[in-house]
Amino acid sequence: MQGQLIAHYGPTPVMDRMSRHGSKITKVVMWPGFDLFARSGSMIGYEGLIEFDPQPPEVRRLASSWATGEGVPLMTARGQGLLYLADYGKDVIVMQLTPGEAVSVNGKNILAFDASLQWGIERVKGVTMLSGMGMFNVVLRNNTQGPGWVSMVSKGNPIMLDTREAPTFVDTDALVAYTEGLSIEKRRTAGFGSMFGRGSGEAFQLGFHGQGFVVVQPSEDERPHFSPRG
Amino acid sequence: MVTQFGRGQKSQLSAITQGTDLYIGIQLNAPGTSWDISCFGLDGDDRLSDDRYFIFFNQPKSPEGSIQQLGAQSGDTESFRLNLDAVPSSIQKLSFCAALEGAGSASQITAGYFRIVVGGQEVLRYAFTGADFSAERAVMIGDVYRKGVWRVAANGQGFAGGLAELIRSFGGEVEDPAPAAPPPVPAPGFAPPPARPAPAPAGGFAPPPGPAAARPPAPPGGPQPGYGQPPAAAPAAAAGAASPLVSLYKEPPPSQAQPVPPGAMASLTPYAENQAPGRWVLQNSKLVKVRLGEDAMALRGAMVAYQGNVEFDYKSRGLRGMIEEKLTGQGMKLMTCKGQGEVFLAQDASDLHIVELAAGQKLCVNTKNVLAFDATITNEVKRIESPGIPGGGIFHFEMAGPGTIVVMTKGTPMTLPVQGPTFGDINALVAWTVGMRVSMSSQVRISRQVYHTASGESVNMQFQGMGGGHFIVVQPYEV
Repeated sequence: MQGQLIAHYGPTPVMDRMSRHGSKITKVVMWPGFDLFARSGSMIGYEGLIEFDPQPPEVRRLASSWATGEGVPLMTARGQGLLYLADYGKDVIVMQLTPGEAVSVNGKNILAFDASLQWGIERVKGVTMLSGMGMFNVVLRNNTQGPGWVSMVSKGNPIMLDTREAPTFVDTDALVAYTEGLSIEKRRTAGFGSMFGRGSGEAFQLGFHGQGFVVVQPSEDERPHFSPRG
Repeated sequence: MVTQFGRGQKSQLSAITQGTDLYIGIQLNAPGTSWDISCFGLDGDDRLSDDRYFIFFNQPKSPEGSIQQLGAQSGDTESFRLNLDAVPSSIQKLSFCAALEGAGSASQITAGYFRIVVGGQEVLRYAFTGADFSAERAVMIGDVYRKGVWRVAANGQGFAGGLAELIRSFGGEVEDPAPAAPPPVPAPGFAPPPARPAPAPAGGFAPPPGPAAARPPAPPGGPQPGYGQPPAAAPAAAAGAASPLVSLYKEPPPSQAQPVPPGAMASLTPYAENQAPGRWVLQNSKLVKVRLGEDAMALRGAMVAYQGNVEFDYKSRGLRGMIEEKLTGQGMKLMTCKGQGEVFLAQDASDLHIVELAAGQKLCVNTKNVLAFDATITNEVKRIESPGIPGGGIFHFEMAGPGTIVVMTKGTPMTLPVQGPTFGDINALVAWTVGMRVSMSSQVRISRQVYHTASGESVNMQFQGMGGGHFIVVQPYEV
């Protein structure tokens, strides 16, 4: 049995909550009741009826602990339609968390995540002490029964390193995300002679051990851009 | 009237139809498997000498449009339009092939056909089933070829390998991120989708002249898009980089994006580490991995991650080095990576290129464009003096092999062969071969707007090569 009717009128493929449009845009399928947290100003376009709240009360509560001091960089989006997100031409990564999984994403690299995920802001232990600037991560845990979606950005093509293979040491400026629950060890390359890293000259890395992964971006450029966002 | 063809049958096309605007429809019913159907435009020697005539999902059209992929329609799994009058004479054969994607074999085909439709009338049909095949992973279904006149053949031959092997058998080359694992991993979540980002076009610089056209050892099978000018213009310099290329793994159009599988780790599979063997392995266009054992030198701060027991030492270059650093003002702040393990290097998301130097080969590289190199490379800071240059001179490294250098560029670089006098903006110059006559030229006649520098005091370097094989590399970004 064949014919156009059978070949072409099947149901359209189920659209994932998040997908990549090219390498630098995240497409989110919005649905009432499935709200989204997104980086403020990351919306580049949408279809349908979507509302944005730049100062969601959930975020305001945590505002005081956000590191950058540039206000709370998250907004909520709710409604129905398609939402397109991007962050200054950085590469986007889309991740689907199965129930029970948790990741820790660098605050600078978070683009969007499902509001159904349990989330909190965590100061990466030890880093503040070493660098003097502190490093804040958004910890996302999927406590729901369904999938949980997270989108991150990376300056340049990212790489995922498997910490099951070997303990992995990462320059904190290049760290994008890691599996929550890995044991973290701070390591400072001791001695005056072995200083590296830019500017500060302080050299330190985070070592990750255990079952999971670390995502690293190919750039350590730390200069924040305080460009006005819409 | 439909002519029924059997396996291996051949005929002149004119015996079947007088038309030259053909619609080729191919159907493959193979439940549970997924097939890529493509058309190879081959030359007289059955070689894919021009990869623009490999018509597949990423390249649905030949340059002049005589071969077009139309997609699924009218019951056909895949369809093509051929305008035989417009097919260039360099293309002698159009071979329609199907290759399996993922697990399975050609014996799973329950039914399939290859048909030719002209003017809405089906004129030829060749039906086949999986019984014609066994464990093959690709099928060469039918050919439309030229032998004096256009002819058609029902091929029906199985092919043991998949699409990549098929392309190689036609003399094409595949950028394959992991040829070490030919049978794709069956677990759908972990199978590298064909849309996997390319493992980076490595190198791409024409290697320095020499008998051994030194290519980076990894990633394997790395046919790189030459950054040079069209090969015809660069016979000597681009010799190593001019091979045809089929970029199977380039970013697909957004509409063909792969869905993200569940599971954090599975979602990130496209970004997994490139486990290809070799000392220097590009992970993607912006990240390189070096396997230690022997020491490697890298720009300080370029380490983004490492695994294993690695130590980083500031490389003391002694008094002479310090003076050099002072003089150059930009001195390469290097560190030595020692120990056992793997170090991942990157800098400001710059594009990275692996250049291999054989013993005795030399390359001049701008100090700002060196990311890392083997400790076996000897490097010397050199200065080109000219009263015209702001600051009195420009500094570069003269690096001599044997060993590997990782050069970084902002954007895709261009390799210009030096034949006549060739000019490069000193701010955009990345590398050049040694042994050229280098001089400075300030623009006298050229209007100021042509070369942009902040000061407006622009200086160009003029290169004149004696003998062939010289080249310069410029980047699309002025420091």
